[in-house]
Amino acid sequence: MSSAILETGGTAAAMRRNFWRGVWRVMRRKPSRLIGAVIVLGFAFMGVFGPMFHPELLPRDPDRIYAPMSAEHWFGTDGQGRDVLAQVVTGSRYVLLSALVTAVITVVLGTAIGLFSGFKRGRWDTVLMRLTDMKLTIPGLPLLLVLSTVWSFGSAVEMGLVLGLLGWGGVARAVRAQTLSLRERGFIEAARGLGLPTTHIVGRELLPSMAPYIAMNMLIAVTGAVYAQVGLFFLGVLPYEADNWGVMLNLSVFGGGALTTTAALPYMLAPLLAILLFTLGIVLVVDAMDEIFNPRLREE
Amino acid sequence: MITGQGITKTFRQRGGVLGGRDVRALRGVDFSIARGGAVSFIGESGCGKTTLGRILAGLESHDSGEITIDGVSMTSLRPRARRPYFRRIQLIHQDPYSALNPTRTVHQTLAAPLALRARQTGRAKGWIDERAEELLGLVGLDPGHVLPRYPHQLSGGMRQRVVIARALTVDPEALVADEAVSMIDVSLRLGILGLLRDLRERLGVSVLFITHDVATARYIGDDGELYVIYRGQVVERGPVETIISAPVHPYTQALLSAIPVLHGLEVPGGQPVTPAGALEEDEHDAGCLFARRCPFATGRCSAEVPVLGRTGDIPQEHACFHPERRSVVAMPAGRA
Amino acid sequence: MPVTPSATPGRKSAPGVRIGGLTVVYRTPAGELPAVSGVDLELPPGTITGVVGESGSGKSTLALSLLNAVQPPGRISAGSVEIDGLGDVVALRGEELRRARGRHVGYVFQAAQNSLNPLKTVGKQLLDLGRSHGVEDLRALVREARDLLGRMGLDGARVLDSYQHELSGGMRQRAGIMFALVLNAHLVVLDEPTTALDMITQATILRIIREVHEERGLTTLVITHDLGVVAEVADRLAVMYGGRLVEQGPTRQVLSDPRHPYTRGLIQAIPRLVGDIGEARALPGRPPTLATVPARGCVFRERCPLRMDVCESEHPPAVAHGTRLVSCHAVEAGAQEHGGEAVAAGAREEQA
Repeated sequence: MSSAILETGGTAAAMRRNFWRGVWRVMRRKPSRLIGAVIVLGFAFMGVFGPMFHPELLPRDPDRIYAPMSAEHWFGTDGQGRDVLAQVVTGSRYVLLSALVTAVITVVLGTAIGLFSGFKRGRWDTVLMRLTDMKLTIPGLPLLLVLSTVWSFGSAVEMGLVLGLLGWGGVARAVRAQTLSLRERGFIEAARGLGLPTTHIVGRELLPSMAPYIAMNMLIAVTGAVYAQVGLFFLGVLPYEADNWGVMLNLSVFGGGALTTTAALPYMLAPLLAILLFTLGIVLVVDAMDEIFNPRLREE
Repeated sequence: MITGQGITKTFRQRGGVLGGRDVRALRGVDFSIARGGAVSFIGESGCGKTTLGRILAGLESHDSGEITIDGVSMTSLRPRARRPYFRRIQLIHQDPYSALNPTRTVHQTLAAPLALRARQTGRAKGWIDERAEELLGLVGLDPGHVLPRYPHQLSGGMRQRVVIARALTVDPEALVADEAVSMIDVSLRLGILGLLRDLRERLGVSVLFITHDVATARYIGDDGELYVIYRGQVVERGPVETIISAPVHPYTQALLSAIPVLHGLEVPGGQPVTPAGALEEDEHDAGCLFARRCPFATGRCSAEVPVLGRTGDIPQEHACFHPERRSVVAMPAGRA
Repeated sequence: MPVTPSATPGRKSAPGVRIGGLTVVYRTPAGELPAVSGVDLELPPGTITGVVGESGSGKSTLALSLLNAVQPPGRISAGSVEIDGLGDVVALRGEELRRARGRHVGYVFQAAQNSLNPLKTVGKQLLDLGRSHGVEDLRALVREARDLLGRMGLDGARVLDSYQHELSGGMRQRAGIMFALVLNAHLVVLDEPTTALDMITQATILRIIREVHEERGLTTLVITHDLGVVAEVADRLAVMYGGRLVEQGPTRQVLSDPRHPYTRGLIQAIPRLVGDIGEARALPGRPPTLATVPARGCVFRERCPLRMDVCESEHPPAVAHGTRLVSCHAVEAGAQEHGGEAVAAGAREEQA
């Protein structure tokens, strides 16, 4: 029996199976987590496949401008008579893709710099952390405003890239702090004492111990990125080229007067609701991260 | 054979605006451990015994003095060249709960250093698993049961055995056991101590045992040597049984007097020694370091520095101007 | 209702405590599991009782029950804790309970490592304690605290001005004892009072516990994993295993002539300064956890050398042997066979 467990390949596969079984167990523990996962997956589905169901240019209907909510137009229509729900769906791809890019860049850069800085300490640490501090002191919004004058952010990836490059500072600081405390732990010292290579210590010992932390940061970075770019478009500092929830908000408020009249209200509420629901989904899933990555909590 | 000569280490504690404060953790310690031998360092926390262990395990550097491993002087080597030598001295941490990565199974924990070893020695992959099972068997664990488990699924005693098995993956010459049983359940402590004794006999591994509980030092082998350390200095050194039955340094006597007596099974020794005050690192040092707390100190003690050595017919080495055997240790009740 | 602290310690007399059928359960995904089951223990007024147990024995939970301070997911599911002058603390709630803690029952946390607030000086925390208990004369409280610290060999004024990190382990523990006693509690519970302290500091703390106990006329309960600690301070010794009391009696008697196989094994497993190294041996197996404690039968049977069939199915009741209570089927069976053993044990006791 023991030899069956020991086959290296078999062990890895079995462990992966156990991991996913554990994940399922953790998610099942609270219904809220499942709801969160369903919401997040739903949005992902919408971002990937949603735009396929709609033509590139949504049909306009000059007779039905700011139409109220109806069976045909669930959230009414906008100032040009386009279906609001369809705009939410087609706009989601840009929003979610750029948020994902932002989150990945934030977490990868932040984790790499934080890990390196905390593990190496000394001169590297000082240099990298001064750099991080400098970066943290640069106010993000004004910089974005300046950037937007020269850059149109037509593609979601560009948008995500810029937001990501602006946002890794906090994660780097937090990961560094975690690394500094973890590297004093017995098992890291033991790994060094055994002469294990640094790549092993960082990749196999430190990183998994920080996995819940990193995963949480990543999810929170996603919501942060959604807010940031929707905010930018809402403020109108970026051109209206892209389909975007922020553009919808901008047009509904400044064009349709959604804050003063009721006609454009559904037009404003629809993207807001989408953002709210998405954030809720993420928050509900974040709750499970600690348990998913901790073998002790993953168990029954 | 591992030896040390005149090992010193000073930690600079960062203080506020007015600058730091130096803590002299080790003030010239000499020691030697023969292959398969057992040496125990005892003393209060803060006496420098843990620092010495960490220096030997290569986790800390020392300021001056000479360490030789199998006759090779470490000071003559570049830091990179020292590493393989220090790797032959493995540290067993006090806390088996933090010494194992909670996200890795026992198999993963053992396989990583074994894979490295296999690469270095050109062994086949199959050897890794074989050796992992063998090592677990050696430390008294059932491989089939333990290998797939995470640390939290094991008791403290089992974890400490896994830690020892992990240290054995590199075929070490010596194990530095720093308070290795103080966090283990009482009923299981002797098992770990017995294992260390066993490893000495079976593998010829030397054991460097660091503890504040003298009694445990007896159980890693009655042929062991005891070093009593006070404020970074060895104040008494000799065979375990000799020092326990007839200590001559007042500090050793104070340590031994402080061990609880199992009334009913034992009767207290006749001349217990109680030191005055507490361990303070930052006092200036003239004369004997223990003089201020010593109930037997004379004028000479605060003026002259006693040197570790033998005097008269006292079998062990000591650093005291007024060595005297006192019966401080409890006796079995029957013999009283 | 504000009260001034008593300037004359010992005005109240030491209370007796009777714990009866105490069961504490913890809610887990696998259902409610008992950490303490059916514990009967009496603390006679003015005595020091030591409860010894390994990890998972339920000793700390038992200590918390004395203040009705078991935290969720745990709860006291059955039994009573009668304290003289206070009644059944299990029935106390809210404000009554809060007042009882500190005034009647003083609690010293595990080696006081983390029980002090790192952001406040000891003196500030003392004033907080005084205010929360409605002490009017805070000056008198501080004076009392200083006296107590002085009594324990510390510079009281200095300690009160210090933050936690400025005190050594032994000093913190003494500050912890001061906090437990300063409101004039006469029942004191010490949970692992010397764990993580050095031998010399431990000896000092144990001496202080004994002296303060006598001077102030206390009833003291010491919870520890270390038989040596109990042997040094306690008049009576109770051994806990898997949430149950397996043996209790006068300390010296239990140590010199342990009856329960677990007590015997535990004593044999202590590394000692004297005696044959070969005689000592570790107990086989491992201590049970909340999840592995058998629900039926004797909790120790899996590690027991005297296991019988009946141990599987029936929990052994506590049977009196003179001043001793032992819960073991094998001991009962043995006692019926050799009635003279107790006498021989008594004779051995005399010699000691």
